[in-house]
Amino acid sequence: MSEIMRRRASDNVYLHRDFHNALNIGLDYLNKHFGRGAVVEYLRQFAKSFYAPLSRKLRRRGLSALKAHLEHLYALENGTIRVVCARDELRFESEYCPAVKHIGKMKEKVSPFFIETERTIYEAVCEGTPFAYELVSYDPKTGKSVQRFYRRKK
Amino acid sequence: MISCAEFIAAYSELFKFLEKKGGERAVHAFWDYLSEIYLAKSLKRLVQRHGLRGCWLYWKRSLSEEAADFTMELDEKKGIFKITMHHCPSKGRLLKWRHLQPYPEYCRHCDVLYRRILEPMGYRCEADFSGTAGAKCSLVVTRET
Repeated sequence: MSEIMRRRASDNVYLHRDFHNALNIGLDYLNKHFGRGAVVEYLRQFAKSFYAPLSRKLRRRGLSALKAHLEHLYALENGTIRVVCARDELRFESEYCPAVKHIGKMKEKVSPFFIETERTIYEAVCEGTPFAYELVSYDPKTGKSVQRFYRRKK
Repeated sequence: MISCAEFIAAYSELFKFLEKKGGERAVHAFWDYLSEIYLAKSLKRLVQRHGLRGCWLYWKRSLSEEAADFTMELDEKKGIFKITMHHCPSKGRLLKWRHLQPYPEYCRHCDVLYRRILEPMGYRCEADFSGTAGAKCSLVVTRET
């Protein structure tokens, strides 16, 4: 039997959730071959380069830039978050992490380093800005978390 | 959370990081590992069950979820499966993110990952990466007789 399929980018939404597991595998691989420090070093390097525009916005516009980023991110992944944002502090809570949920759905084991996709990433985003980051709580099984960004004391 | 829509950037940065740690050999070692782990339950299993049609089934889902601009052709009688990527969503994103410097050999991972799965199962893979500067490529999988 022969078949032909033609698809244009506009025919579908860009959301290939299996990529979450590819990242999950990558984190475990780094730990196995180069140690835990390499996992953090890699994620920090990624955040410093990829999220450089977000860090710039955070410096210029403050926490509202981060709020917009987080809301966009979770909406894209069909996740829900509660965000409370003031001038000097942003706090957000998620009932689950959509990435962790999908990895579980694939019946794969979530890497113990997956927490660093929150902690290391947001710490790096805050570097060089007037804000600091705290991972208040995190459940590795679901990715349920409470996270806050706050203005550093001068 | 790193969104799956941002993963390609994380992937490209991972290749750069690995190269810094252990050269090209470290990057290829990771691709070999990823191929075995990541594609064993998907592409490999589908081809084991459905033959060349397994390629069609695998890429039908993944390329649709990646919102790729592509033409896919399957001729089971002739034993040929072909993907013509008119615009790769991954490479396209890397080119669009002007503040990022993509891993120079980024596109090669596709060839390594898929070839490693398909060739031991009796299929020949031919990839053409001559158009990757414009996010174009092609892959032809032929059943060996």
